Amino acid sequence: MDRALFPDGVERCSFGKFVLWMGFISAFFLFGLYAMLLIFYKGIVVTGLDNYFGFGLWITFDLAVIALGAGAFFTGFLKYILKIDQLKNIINLTVIVGFICYSGAMLVLTMDIGQPIRAWFGYWHPNVHSMLTEVIFCITCYCLVLVIEFVPLVLEQKQLNKIPFLHHLAHNMHVNMALFAGIGAFLSTFHQGSLGGMYGVLQGRPYAFREGFFIWPWTFFLFVLSAVGCGPIFTVLCCTLMEKMTGRKLVDFKTKALMGKIAGTMLTVYIFFKILDTWAWANNYLPSVGMTFDQMFYGVIYGKWLMFTEIILCGLVPAIMLITPSIRNNPTLLYTAGILDCIGISLNRYLFTVQSIAMPILPFDNWQFYAPNWAEWATSGMIVAYGILVMSLSYRYLPVFPQERGMNK
Amino acid sequence: MAHGATKEFKVTWGMVIDLDKCTGCGACMTACQVENNIAPMVDASNKMRTLSWMLVFELSNKKSGAEAEVAYLPRPCMQCGNPACVPVCPVVATEKNEEGGIVSQIYPRCIGCRYCMAACPYHARYFNWEDPIFPKGMEKALSPSTSARPRGVVEKCNFCHTRFMEAKDKARQEGGNPEGLADGAYMPACAEICPTGAISFGDVKNKEHKVFDLAQGKDAFRLLEKLGLNPQVYYVSKREWVRKLGDNYAATGKPGAAKKHS
Amino acid sequence: MGLDRRGFVKIVVGGVAGTLFTPVIWKSLDDVSIWSQNWPWIPRLNKGEVKSKAALSKLCPAGCAVKVKTVGGLPFAVVGNTANPLSKGGVCPVCAAGAQLMYSPARVKSPMKKVGEGKFEAIKWEDAEALLVEKLTALKGQNGKIAAINGDETGSAGEVLSGLLAGLGNSGCYMMPGEKFVAEKGVKLMGGSGQPGFDIAGSDLVLMIGADALDSWGTTVANQKAFAATRPTGGVATAKFVYAGPVLNHTAAVSDKFLPVPPTATAAFALGLANLLINAGAVCSAPDFAEYKALAAKYTAEEVEKATGLKAESMKELAALIKAAKAPLVIAGASFGQGAGALDFVAGASLNVLLGRVGGGMTLLPAAPKAVAGAGASDKDAGSFLADVSTGKAAPGVLLVYEANPAYALPQAGDMAKALGNIAFKVSFSTYMDETASLCDLILPAPHPFERYDDNLNPYGVAKPTYLAGKPVVQKPVADCKDPVDVLLGAAAKLGLSLGFDTYADVIKAKAKALGADFDALVAGGIWTGEAKGGSLNLGASALAKVAMPKADDKTLALAPMSNQAYGSATLATPPANLLAVRDTELSGKDLFVQMNAATAKKVGVAEGARVKLSAGKGELKARVHLNEGVAPGTVAVLLGFGRSAWDEFTKGKGDNVYKILTVSDEAGTGLKVWAGSTVTVAKV
Repeated sequence: MDRALFPDGVERCSFGKFVLWMGFISAFFLFGLYAMLLIFYKGIVVTGLDNYFGFGLWITFDLAVIALGAGAFFTGFLKYILKIDQLKNIINLTVIVGFICYSGAMLVLTMDIGQPIRAWFGYWHPNVHSMLTEVIFCITCYCLVLVIEFVPLVLEQKQLNKIPFLHHLAHNMHVNMALFAGIGAFLSTFHQGSLGGMYGVLQGRPYAFREGFFIWPWTFFLFVLSAVGCGPIFTVLCCTLMEKMTGRKLVDFKTKALMGKIAGTMLTVYIFFKILDTWAWANNYLPSVGMTFDQMFYGVIYGKWLMFTEIILCGLVPAIMLITPSIRNNPTLLYTAGILDCIGISLNRYLFTVQSIAMPILPFDNWQFYAPNWAEWATSGMIVAYGILVMSLSYRYLPVFPQERGMNK
Repeated sequence: MAHGATKEFKVTWGMVIDLDKCTGCGACMTACQVENNIAPMVDASNKMRTLSWMLVFELSNKKSGAEAEVAYLPRPCMQCGNPACVPVCPVVATEKNEEGGIVSQIYPRCIGCRYCMAACPYHARYFNWEDPIFPKGMEKALSPSTSARPRGVVEKCNFCHTRFMEAKDKARQEGGNPEGLADGAYMPACAEICPTGAISFGDVKNKEHKVFDLAQGKDAFRLLEKLGLNPQVYYVSKREWVRKLGDNYAATGKPGAAKKHS
Repeated sequence: MGLDRRGFVKIVVGGVAGTLFTPVIWKSLDDVSIWSQNWPWIPRLNKGEVKSKAALSKLCPAGCAVKVKTVGGLPFAVVGNTANPLSKGGVCPVCAAGAQLMYSPARVKSPMKKVGEGKFEAIKWEDAEALLVEKLTALKGQNGKIAAINGDETGSAGEVLSGLLAGLGNSGCYMMPGEKFVAEKGVKLMGGSGQPGFDIAGSDLVLMIGADALDSWGTTVANQKAFAATRPTGGVATAKFVYAGPVLNHTAAVSDKFLPVPPTATAAFALGLANLLINAGAVCSAPDFAEYKALAAKYTAEEVEKATGLKAESMKELAALIKAAKAPLVIAGASFGQGAGALDFVAGASLNVLLGRVGGGMTLLPAAPKAVAGAGASDKDAGSFLADVSTGKAAPGVLLVYEANPAYALPQAGDMAKALGNIAFKVSFSTYMDETASLCDLILPAPHPFERYDDNLNPYGVAKPTYLAGKPVVQKPVADCKDPVDVLLGAAAKLGLSLGFDTYADVIKAKAKALGADFDALVAGGIWTGEAKGGSLNLGASALAKVAMPKADDKTLALAPMSNQAYGSATLATPPANLLAVRDTELSGKDLFVQMNAATAKKVGVAEGARVKLSAGKGELKARVHLNEGVAPGTVAVLLGFGRSAWDEFTKGKGDNVYKILTVSDEAGTGLKVWAGSTVTVAKV
């Protein structure tokens, strides 16, 4: 019944099936919405956050989705600035994934701060020395850029595109997309870096603190690298998941493998520096503040296995897999490497967020434990549900995949 | 403020807490709560949600029988010379730029992001989880010195800053020098109430003030000095095990390890 | 002129752009930022002149001489009174919360009459007083029918209470337990009389056996000040402090030495020390020295070690320290300020005699003059009285309870509360809805210390006769209350008795006059001190002959109740502002933690955090275990002040009440009821 709205020449599931699917996902969304309203009404006292864990699941979630959403800016950069034309096959998807990740992260942040009605103070009373100010600036600006990048895709919807004004608007925006891609790349590089910088400057948290270059601690650069090392492959994973669910071919494997190669290259660079950084931190910095590498870990939930999983199993291993053509060109191995890569980067964000504040710094203090409660899970789930809803609508009604028509003949 | 730099002030308000005199009675915590209008909590046993600008830690030498020793360590805000919390605040809700070196907290501006809490290794910063609702009538016993803060902002000890303003006003009225207050003219509530006088307070840069010498005594130390935050709160103990608990020495096993980074 | 669409858009766009150049939008944004601080439910501060008024804060057992800071006449903070030589500017943690306690949700707001189980109805003062007079009139002249329990051992109110009872032909005025009562008995056993005092400030070694002198024994703040004076920060300590007791408590934390001694072994420990001192050459001229020496000889350090686990070496080191001191002082008491036997006191005090420190370190205070003519001696204990009530030996028809909480704070508290049920008409004079008030038939709310006149004569521990008095800080009490003494005097008048006074203020003025003190100076924050009397004491050897070496028992643990002053007292549940100071290793949610060392825990078969049941007599206490290496072997330490069944949401139902499992026994040779050496069985739940 909504066939007239589909992109030209493609098949979509029945409207009834679509409604069922959307209803199923909306249930999660609504439950999260309830939790969110409760949080706005009662404050974040309803969450599992506490005096020690001011940062928890939400910040981990934000940092992870922002890293995974990095496919948008980096692919845009490669496509529009470095003119790697093959990426046009997946560029729309990277924009949508990026948009979902960033808008979702912003929504979580407004919940996370104690005074949401003061959220705009970052602009009103900015502290230019704070990495977080930089994050607030860049994320909001970059989110706008993503909106600008997303709009022409919406305008290209079959029916909307019939309106001459919208058609021309979309066309003109496309023409200037290189400019936005450039701005996006600039903004995104900075806030990805600043998210890492946020932790690296924490002089009082030996787990996270790093020396660095000029005002930027090493984590600044590591976060940029790790984001571009996982963002592209995350888009590929999203795409593949959509293919499995819809049973339709959307992007050719060659493009996916190229994305894998891009991510793999960056991940390799990243993991090289990450290992160097970890080595220097353990052997140089930690002794200088009287601490040892062993002191950074505790029991199972804060054990060393986490760091080894992050750096070796989910860092070094996928990096090697992705830069080795024979492995990368096998779909199963490409996706496996991609999943490991994304887990590794998310784990990195988790460790920087939670382990660095769980660790006792005062010698007479103890390790603290944190478990997110239902309100944090529900709202995080809401963002995931929101992403699925946006993606489902986009897939059904927007010409996201230029190759789809040709590949499904 | 750049990282690693200590901002110098002519007057530097500091505390010297004698851990060999602190009985752990808790009067400082009560006086602090009263002075700063912190609403009582029905379940204050959940220390992960309390607001304790002043918190008394219990330290143990982990021995038993007649060898067992404990020490109590009152922990106000350290008012670091090179605070970890100030440069990270995205909205300039906390500053260190007033003569005296007290790290301020501007409640109407704080957005409650808690980045400063993640930055402070002393856990001196507290998020206000709930609105300050006092038992009916008890708001009549609010102290006039500090406004009650709404939920959702971060708060902390400010060395009873209103008392500093009052002391300066008094000095002005009496023709004295508000920039050179006499020893004892300005006292935070905790230092004033402490029944054993374990908390000394004054300008650590002023030779006329008792704390000037105390802070330089051979048994004086500061918490986590190696992190380079340069706290303005000093502790004194003749007991070595207590002094050793003031910083991390796991890497070297002994106090006084050289500081490699700046 | 018409406005077309284009014109409209221009005006809107131009208007918005123009506004951005005016301060309007920016000013409003700024206002919003300030306004977001001022939700209507955020309380506003009080305005007005800030003043500081002297007051006597009897919220803590010893009483603090303080200054109350007021804004626009309303108290908001308590600071020390530096001019008062007793507290020298110090304030205890309970009195520090005094202003807020005026508004405690547990305050009794008006007179209340019981109308059913746990149900009360507010009544008018005139009706309440008429009811009191009616009940007293009915039983007037029948001895034993009217009784009173007094929980205030330093105020002159006790004299009025006792005088009124005497006037009604009754002699049953009973005191809640405290150290003073036991110490006076002890002094008698040593051939002396009067209340003993301890000059901590004038001693260069203070050995505290059991007595938690720097947190909750005696005049705590004065003790803390004396301690502090001997150890200037950054300087050299001029006196040594040693704590020998069951728990590494607040006093032990700052003492130079801590010796873990189970509460069952207080006297044995003191005698062991006496033996070591005598062996090292200590002699004295007391007539019973030879007898004492022979007795002490049985308590060799090795024997004491066998019985208590305390290393003989530690005792020998301590004896050497004492020997080296010029002015040593021994203070013996229960670790929680009550329930110790007179023998424990005598054993400790005998060391002062042996060391020649009676008159110097340990003093005796002369008997104080009475203001109320008919007042009797306050030497009968409430615990024995209620025990008699429960067996029917005593059968009063009316009980007046003044500043006391027997339903909570007597050993085997459960039985005591039940015994109260045997009394037909109970009246509580209390500021707060405590456990006893909630069992009474008539509650007559008493003013908060900042709303009333009160006095404080010879708080236990002072070295010299000492008198403090206070007057109201506020014009009008927060609740509809009346001074209990004024109510009693009014009732007396209606009963046709004249006690010679109309108000409590008059009683205090008379007392001051009798002492030769200046009332006005006292209520302005002053103090009156007299001189200790002379006189010597013997070593109490004949009484000490009854001391038995404690026997280790596999089935039970010695119970050491611990008092942390900040957590309140018998008559005051933990102030809301002090809950922050309670550690999460002491109370977590509603669970109280009992403490024992790892070896003891292993013996009992429990681990950190385990849920246990402690039982003794008919009482049971539920708690969890916290391992603390500062607890003496074979001992379980339990904090006092929890397990409230009345009060308010800040305290009710949190933890359990250790009084329930304290068991009373008769002390050999003295006939005193003691419970400091209670033992309990610990079982896992």
